[in-house]
Amino acid sequence: MATTKLKTDRPTYTSDFIPSDVERAVFLGNPVLDNMMSSLIALGAEVWSNRRRMKVLESLLAEKGITEEMVESYMPTSEQEAEWQKDRDRFIDLTYSPLLREGDLPVSADFGDRKKR
Amino acid sequence: MIDRRSIFTATAAIGTFLASAFGSRKAKAGMQEKYPNHTYKNGTPTGDVEPRGAIGRMERLPTLRIEGVHDFTCGMRTFLNKHTRKLVTRADKLISESGRDPRKEIHAIEAMKILDKDTLLGTSGRLWISNQQVTWKILQDHYHENADEYLAEMEAADNDGPGTLELNPEMEIPDYTKHEIHIQPGGYVGDAFAGPIYHYGTLSFYNGVMGDNTQDQIHVSTANRLPLPEDGVVKRILVQGCGLGQMTVALAERFPEAEVWGIDVGGPLVRYGHMRARELGVPVNFAQRLAEDTKFPDDHFDIVTSYIINHELPQDKNRAVIKEAYRVTRPGGYYYPVDFLTGGGKGKPYSNYRRWWDHRWNNEVWSYEYHTFNFDQEIEMAGFKLNPNTPAALPRFGKRHAVKEA
Repeated sequence: MATTKLKTDRPTYTSDFIPSDVERAVFLGNPVLDNMMSSLIALGAEVWSNRRRMKVLESLLAEKGITEEMVESYMPTSEQEAEWQKDRDRFIDLTYSPLLREGDLPVSADFGDRKKR
Repeated sequence: MIDRRSIFTATAAIGTFLASAFGSRKAKAGMQEKYPNHTYKNGTPTGDVEPRGAIGRMERLPTLRIEGVHDFTCGMRTFLNKHTRKLVTRADKLISESGRDPRKEIHAIEAMKILDKDTLLGTSGRLWISNQQVTWKILQDHYHENADEYLAEMEAADNDGPGTLELNPEMEIPDYTKHEIHIQPGGYVGDAFAGPIYHYGTLSFYNGVMGDNTQDQIHVSTANRLPLPEDGVVKRILVQGCGLGQMTVALAERFPEAEVWGIDVGGPLVRYGHMRARELGVPVNFAQRLAEDTKFPDDHFDIVTSYIINHELPQDKNRAVIKEAYRVTRPGGYYYPVDFLTGGGKGKPYSNYRRWWDHRWNNEVWSYEYHTFNFDQEIEMAGFKLNPNTPAALPRFGKRHAVKEA
């Protein structure tokens, strides 16, 4: 059993809980590889978040008198949202498609029987 | 006779009066400084923290960074779903190489042994789980970093209406409910912010699997598809295991004259649910209680329902929940548990592997038991009569219009 540690005197109406063992999971035979994947996901999340923020800033730069509050409260149009989602998908495709590459040739592999396409 | 709602309303009114009579201006000013994100009325927090406003019934994620990360995790789910065919092909190839026929059903444990070490399936699983972890972490970090402000927000709503909230801090929480389902940190009972974390976190699930749910579209359409009792009378509705109350609120909106209750073991969930329903102006009664021990009288409700809780329960608890539903449903009323179809432990290699994987690594601790459970038969054994002609309240899920005969 475990408890989440919150520094507060306020009532939280929580109880202890049974943590999962997901932090111990190794799906790729080597925890280093798993950890790299986790870092890649986190990196991607941060990069995308920044790119998305930039889009907000770029939209606001078209106007005058930009404030932080304006940036935070910017409401994308449905067209912008659709366009941004497309860009998001392009970004994810670029960054993560290589991880699903099905490579099978060792360093020592010769040219083998290549065929024209 | 004074009912619960009257008592809560009276308590809330007295609390408000005392606060306005004795709260000093200095204290109010200090409060405003301490909790700048609250909305205020005459210097008193109204109990609503929404730093970036709301779109319809969904408060926007609290910072632009979190919104961006959330958007990414939604996109990553979509990306992984898009590559499912590739994973199915790989699984079939490996099953075939092992001497089995991939077109035939295979038990999940057998499939797991064959597919366990494959790098493509492993990579897909790792990306999925790491994405899920980011989904939760970004939210939990924010709520914990700003805990005092958000706890103050909930406190301001606890005794206010519309609707009521019953919390039972002395209640014994059963161990089976204490798991970190979906690897959500703290699960449903162990984190004070289980409500908003679940609420925002599951948007990516809906986005990747069923569609946009930012306006509770899935819950609203499910609530609207539930049938009427044969006599058309709907005075009282119960939602067992209501979570943060999206279905409960949707039912209260569909049946504005009915007394609607949502109960859940998770104190933080019903607390958030009450706060949210209050902000939406929908009168719902939330209580921290067990689905298998609702404390309501016999034959009390016209409709007893639930939304995707049964697969989070062990089989014996599912039987107890169904039995309790039968007890509190009135003759002529019905029970409709909305949840996945159950189908035994066998299936095509990839789907069966993925089901087991989800159970094991997404920490769906009880889902495998659920899938091997003859849920419809158990409902009928409890005394209900299933009406096979009623369409599924949630498409592709179970058709479970279980009538308690008059």
